[in-house]
Amino acid sequence: MTTPEPTGLADGDWHRLHPATPLFRGGIVFVAIVGWILVNLRDVFFESLFDEVVPGDGPREPNPARDWILANVPIAMGVLLVVLLVVVAFAWLSWRMHEFRVTDELVEVRSGVIWRRHRRGRLDRIQGVNIVRPIVPRIFGAARLEISVAGEDANIRLAYLAGWIADALRADILRRATEARSARIALAVEERLGSPPSPLLAERPAAAGPGFLEQRAAEFLRPELDQPLAAPDSLVRMDVGRLVASTALSLGIPTILVAAAIWVGVATTREFAILFVLVPSVIALATYAVRRVTRSLRYSIAATPDGIRVGFGLLSTTNETLPPGRIHAVQVSQPLVWRPFGWWTVRLNRAANSSRDGAAGQANTTILPVGDLADVEKVLGLVLPDDAALVREALVGRGGDGFTVSPPRARPYRWFSRRRNGFRLASESVVLRKGAIWREAIFVPLARVQSVAIVRGPLARAARLARVEVHTVAGVITPSIGAIDEHDARSLFSSAESRVIEAMAA
Amino acid sequence: MSPKYLRVELIGLAITAVILLTAASIPAIASRNPWLWLLPAGLFVLFAIIAAVTPRRVRAIGYRLRDDDLLFRRGIMFHRLVAVPYGRMQLVDVTRGPIARAFGLAELKFVTAAAATGVTIPGLPEAEAESLRDELVALAESRRAGL
Repeated sequence: MTTPEPTGLADGDWHRLHPATPLFRGGIVFVAIVGWILVNLRDVFFESLFDEVVPGDGPREPNPARDWILANVPIAMGVLLVVLLVVVAFAWLSWRMHEFRVTDELVEVRSGVIWRRHRRGRLDRIQGVNIVRPIVPRIFGAARLEISVAGEDANIRLAYLAGWIADALRADILRRATEARSARIALAVEERLGSPPSPLLAERPAAAGPGFLEQRAAEFLRPELDQPLAAPDSLVRMDVGRLVASTALSLGIPTILVAAAIWVGVATTREFAILFVLVPSVIALATYAVRRVTRSLRYSIAATPDGIRVGFGLLSTTNETLPPGRIHAVQVSQPLVWRPFGWWTVRLNRAANSSRDGAAGQANTTILPVGDLADVEKVLGLVLPDDAALVREALVGRGGDGFTVSPPRARPYRWFSRRRNGFRLASESVVLRKGAIWREAIFVPLARVQSVAIVRGPLARAARLARVEVHTVAGVITPSIGAIDEHDARSLFSSAESRVIEAMAA
Repeated sequence: MSPKYLRVELIGLAITAVILLTAASIPAIASRNPWLWLLPAGLFVLFAIIAAVTPRRVRAIGYRLRDDDLLFRRGIMFHRLVAVPYGRMQLVDVTRGPIARAFGLAELKFVTAAAATGVTIPGLPEAEAESLRDELVALAESRRAGL
């Protein structure tokens, strides 16, 4: 496992970030503003020169602001220069003071000129490593590395690094993380990745080729460095037509309904001014739709030795790696409008919640934006190798087939879904199946369950029904199943609890 | 669970009731409209009902230490029974409210990575709360597991 470090950056010493970092972090806006001021000043300056050289043209109309500026040009220039120098010096200083290091156990970042900030993350607690390439840094071949550790917004961000360094450093960190975890887990990882899905297994990407110049050129030509490496491994193809159609359906049908309602309203009241009020919301909706599509384009998912790698994004790309055993719950669901096409979406709960980043926000919870049943099976085959065979029953099945469903007397509580609403204890997870109209299935790996609860309200008690809750880390999914027969609920409660304890000890 | 805990609950309820009843009486006193006295009267009945069920509610709270997990139950209308494996414990909080402290009681909170777990054992004598905390920490340490 100890191959030589391709970057040499994970050697335990302090290193600095990409020299152009200040530019990427908002410096470009600053440069633009300074440029704009300079251009304007130049106009004023030349105007004043020409006024003196070519007199005449009659008396100029008074303009106090311009006259004041003209009178103070040297001072203004001086002030501007000082401000510019201070800002540049500060940016340079903050770059100098922003350092990171990767040792055998930790990743550390220290930054800040006046308020020093020192953040340290343990490698064995890493929940995932993302590479994000916003559009501007991407043009310059830079990327941001985000190391998420468990906790609310507890990301360690290395912004920005050269693209190939980010990729190689990610490989280093993930390998170190695997080494840092106990041998027991490392063994489990190898077992899990080694046995059943071996044809899916990708080779470790041949990181960091030899020539720096060649690297640079390749990056320039094809800014998404990971893409050529990940594309052949990607298990699921994201069909552009399907993505656009699914977005249009899930956003479009409600929009059309609302639009029709408004149209009727306008037609009857003849208050056309209402339409103008709606312009901002229409723009917002359109941007949302476009962003959703561009963000989910070039989607790829693959198994690597370091974990599952998911890539997203057309303009700004996100590329994240989930180490094995960091997935706390998986939900497969189907909005009603997707049903005729048989599309599903897959979302995850995980311990690292980076609620901050827009781009990472979607990638963080959605692991498959839209896909058909076969795609869902492939994705779940990566995420939960042992229980993927259950997907079909969990998604479209009804009645007995291994699931314990609600008893007939639960009909008042689950009108249509009584025969679907059920649970099953599979080999490595609890599977909850819900909904006949809005179909949904939740998989919770037993080894990740935090606690189990059984809840009975007065109405449910009258019908001898109960609700079972499976508690996981907070996220988009809250796994629970209601309207289950009391005895079934009790047996699920006790067997799930003992299986959780078993899974923890294993 | 200490029998004194019932008194803590009732005193807390009485304080809340006095504050709310005073606030609810202000409109009636200010406007001299006798009908407005219905508001505090209704509140009073509500508090009386809550006070009447409090003893049963307090009795319904219970916990049990099993070999590998902690069982916790509460609620009379909405039964809730939670099982938490010791290895899932992230931390144990012992807190003392002002009234509970006067009676020498403390509240023990068992925190896991899931916010929904919600295991809070109220009304333990302070010494018992601390020994239970130490015991839980030791148990969690021996069954340590990652997230």
